[in-house]
Amino acid sequence: MTISSFFIFIPSILLGILTIHLVWPERHPLTLLLKLSLGVGLGLGISSILYFLILQVAPGRISIRGIQIILATNLLIFTAIRERNRKWNGVYLPRLSGLQWGLACTALIAFVISILTFFNTIVSRPQGEYDAWSIWNRAARFIYRDPENWQATLSPDIAALGHADYPLLVPLNVAWGWETLGGETLKVPMAQSALFTFAIILLMFSSLAVTRTIGQASLASAVLMASSGFILNGTNLTADIPLMFFIFASVVLMYLFSLNRNSTLLVLSGFMAGLAGWTKNEGLLFMAISPIAVIIVFPKKMSLPFLYYLAGMAIPLAIILYFKSMTPPNDLINSGNSLIEKVKDVSRYWIILKSLSTVILDAHVIVFTIYTVIMQSHPNHSSKQGIYTVATLLILQLLGYYAIYVITPNDLAWQLVTTQNRLIMHIIPPGLFLCFNIAADPETIFS
Amino acid sequence: MLANIKKSLVVLLLLINVFFVGQDWVASTNIADRGAYALDCWEAQMALVRDSLPIKRGVVGYISEQDVPGAEYGLWDIETEFFLTQYALAPLIVKKGIVAEWNVVVLSNKDLAIWGKTYTGQYKIIDVEGKVHVLHRLEAP
Repeated sequence: MTISSFFIFIPSILLGILTIHLVWPERHPLTLLLKLSLGVGLGLGISSILYFLILQVAPGRISIRGIQIILATNLLIFTAIRERNRKWNGVYLPRLSGLQWGLACTALIAFVISILTFFNTIVSRPQGEYDAWSIWNRAARFIYRDPENWQATLSPDIAALGHADYPLLVPLNVAWGWETLGGETLKVPMAQSALFTFAIILLMFSSLAVTRTIGQASLASAVLMASSGFILNGTNLTADIPLMFFIFASVVLMYLFSLNRNSTLLVLSGFMAGLAGWTKNEGLLFMAISPIAVIIVFPKKMSLPFLYYLAGMAIPLAIILYFKSMTPPNDLINSGNSLIEKVKDVSRYWIILKSLSTVILDAHVIVFTIYTVIMQSHPNHSSKQGIYTVATLLILQLLGYYAIYVITPNDLAWQLVTTQNRLIMHIIPPGLFLCFNIAADPETIFS
Repeated sequence: MLANIKKSLVVLLLLINVFFVGQDWVASTNIADRGAYALDCWEAQMALVRDSLPIKRGVVGYISEQDVPGAEYGLWDIETEFFLTQYALAPLIVKKGIVAEWNVVVLSNKDLAIWGKTYTGQYKIIDVEGKVHVLHRLEAP
């Protein structure tokens, strides 16, 4: 069951990788690695949307596995034909220096250790943390056990902390995984969580290997794996790690667009942002703020990039709007008349600032910020624009979280204690990506 | 001078982070019980409840110590048991209170007797296991 729980995701991942390669046919080996990491999330996102559409038209009567295999096979044939017709110079791995080999091997060792840590931890609590079974796998059971009546998972009768309004990317993937295997097993949510966790590490490595150097990519990956709570978060089986993946993927693609102005990357970035909103309500905030970043960063010629970005976001956005039309309202929106009082209450701003600063200004972050300042390099114009883009996105996301805390109808202290760590965790990968794009790479320092 | 500081910082950053990765692994080899067994036990009890319920869809009520005047309980324990019951009984919707024809009761016999005084003759009690019972409404309230 363990191995087959991973195998069932292969057609889905293949679908994601081939879709990216179809729209972005770049063939540099490091780009291929980047496509592999992006493809994991994209494939799982597409599969969840496909399964959601199946639930609307013929729940329990159309095989998601069949559709995934047909689509992946067609894409494979199409890609093979297209690649055959193109001039093919072969794929050559870049020649690495001794320093690069050393750093890459160290990162690889850290990666293997992280895999062991992940599995040691996940087997100690296979059900995941509280939210995993009270929200995400609870919804997956509603869908899998009674697909024809799947909307019961959105019932307003479900207790408020069961969050019937939460988006369904994660539960849908678990439900179709069980359907494919023919039975409920916790190995499916475990496998999904493992895929997203290690795809984030691979995404960190491959994106920085493309934008900077192998040495910088190795260093950043090691820092990410050591970030407190990152691997453990993956074993919680909640939607935080998938959300982290989609936010990070969208940021990386937007950064790459600022470097080479390939509009396809912006469409993909928009799609990833849309999948963030289809994963968790915090992703809706990212969907709302990320177009603002496009406008801020490209103020003179913003209309075309803006349209590309929105075009990418269109399909997930349509799915989310349709889904939200069926769900009970979110508890954060139920502030009613007290909303204005909360906005006017200055003490709330101070409490939030004090609380968030304990998380943001921890020793790890301070040391790393000093490192970035000391090591700063002199990026060219397009890199600078990319850096501004990522910085803008991070600041807007933080301000968004801040605003939500101001208006929350729940007890503020409780809300802060139970959520602030994971909210900050969502933006750690793009934060590290930003810092390592600012800092000089080891190759330059040791040259 | 600055070049040497930068070189040292790179080495230091790498070593510190590899150390943290290793430390996480060492900690993961000796994890104390995190409630997995208790969750499995609750699931097993609720599987018996599911078998004893004739409905597969709709709402079932949920009664716990919260509904018994004077009963002692931990709020977080009660909430956890409630959400575990919802998780186990899905796709049935579990709603607090005696709100449906079929109701899950998680009460000791003593608390059940206190609670039952209000509803004498209105419900049939089906014992499941331990403090878990199912209540079937006999007449419209």
